[in-house]
Amino acid sequence: MDLCLFAEFSFQSLSQYVLNGLLMGALFALIALGYTLVYGIIELVNFAHGDVFMLGCVLTYFLCMFAPEYPTSLIFIPLLLLIVPICCSLLNITINYLVYRPLRKAPRLVPLVSALGVSFVLINVGQMAIGTSPKSIQAQLLPSETNQSSANRETENATRSNEASEELTRPRRSWLTWADILLIGTVIPAMTGLALLVKFTKIGKAMRATAQNPIAARLMGINVEFVIALTFALGGIFAGLAAVVFTLKITTIDYLMGYKNGLYAFTAAVVGGVGSIPGAVLGGILIGLIYSLGAVYIGGAWVDACIFGTLIILLVFRPSGILGTRVREKV
Amino acid sequence: MSQPILELKGVHTSYGVIEVLKGISIKVEPKQIVTVIGANGAGKTTTLMTISGCVPIQKGEILFNGQPIHRTPAHQILKMGLAQSPEGRKIFPRLTVKENLEMGAFTRNDKAGIQQDIEKAYHLFPILKDRQKQLGGTLSGGEQQMLAIARALMSRPKMLLLDEPSLGLAPMIILKIFDAIQELNREGMSVLLVEQNARLALKIAHWGYVLETGTVTMSAAAQELLHDPRVQAAYLGE
Repeated sequence: MDLCLFAEFSFQSLSQYVLNGLLMGALFALIALGYTLVYGIIELVNFAHGDVFMLGCVLTYFLCMFAPEYPTSLIFIPLLLLIVPICCSLLNITINYLVYRPLRKAPRLVPLVSALGVSFVLINVGQMAIGTSPKSIQAQLLPSETNQSSANRETENATRSNEASEELTRPRRSWLTWADILLIGTVIPAMTGLALLVKFTKIGKAMRATAQNPIAARLMGINVEFVIALTFALGGIFAGLAAVVFTLKITTIDYLMGYKNGLYAFTAAVVGGVGSIPGAVLGGILIGLIYSLGAVYIGGAWVDACIFGTLIILLVFRPSGILGTRVREKV
Repeated sequence: MSQPILELKGVHTSYGVIEVLKGISIKVEPKQIVTVIGANGAGKTTTLMTISGCVPIQKGEILFNGQPIHRTPAHQILKMGLAQSPEGRKIFPRLTVKENLEMGAFTRNDKAGIQQDIEKAYHLFPILKDRQKQLGGTLSGGEQQMLAIARALMSRPKMLLLDEPSLGLAPMIILKIFDAIQELNREGMSVLLVEQNARLALKIAHWGYVLETGTVTMSAAAQELLHDPRVQAAYLGE
């Protein structure tokens, strides 16, 4: 990163920030899906979800130690995108089985508090694994960006005398990095896959049915516990995918990252309408845009205030979120 | 007499410390309509939910075709051929009518057979065909009740449990639904019908039970109950 273009407004830099916001938003949306899916089925805010994401990042970090040199490492990336989501999903299923399932009939506050407890346990596991200081990935898995930027720098040097053209070249330097392309290539198929699964497959319809009326779903012969486990598994897969992409894009991880990013993602889920899948995606993108644009045009210190301020304002005017359906109690 | 299709023997069920069913025994003969009548809170819905495996049983036995089912999970009870149209319909509000019917056939895998049964359901309740692409939540109460019964039939059950199919409906619609129940029964369906509308239920049933605060207080042929002075005074408003 070099000097930031603080308050220096130009459409080209704006488009770069919007793009960054969309990319971060897509990541938040991936995590948000895990919150919204689980909430949709058992009305539990699974506070541990962000930390499942964090452990996914930790796992990615360790696996990257075994990464081969570039360009062989390109084969390693699909492997990461396979192993980490599977591990996260197994972790999520285990948490559901050990902690939430025995509490299924308990009052709603009990599993909620337990979720907080699980969150702390996972944070401690992460802390034991990587320590308290942030860690960076050493391995280079993706094609280097430096060639591209040094090429740009040369152009920049050549045009330094010409102020006007410098303005044009500068933001072009990092339009899309390889990590961004990986992100897009992961998020779009994952979300499309989920949408198709939920809309058209039998098990997807069973998920929607269980979310809408669990008692009726049982009377239809749907194994509700299986559907719940599947939901946790899906949430885990999305957390794992987000973890791999996040780690390769940001390259620095720490044991508290699950808390913060989980909170952003949860906010995204609530803003979009918790329980709604398109809502989580929309909310994620909105939060991502606020995250990126707020940092540039308002100031990095104010990002959290902007995000949670938006949440408060939105909840005042639309308590069920942008796409959330107001639940009508019917006797 | 042949073996009953469904038999409850001294069933006890409680919610926490509150005992709802205090040892009830009910028998349903094959191809009959048996009704359980009783006031609000007598335990009628709990009886059906216990049979379907949605509420755990405390004591006693439930036999379906001679097989004990009181320890069987709900989704397997349905597979054995015991379907329920629950109290308050409980249709899936944000699934279409057709998807609701497909959910009823969740345990089946024969696509052609399911399609055939959807057509059958449309034949039984033609209004559902006009509404097939509409979301379940947009239907009127009567249409929702028809959908709930049709959905229960989609698993090709041997026996149907019906919980308050007349609840909150206009008399014209109630007649339509009760006609359909009788038609199903003529085709050989065994039915356990739980109703507050005792007169209507006893008119179409072969046998009836009166449930009072978790205990069966009377059990007789439906015609007999219809003319019993105690039943008339308590449930028929005469």
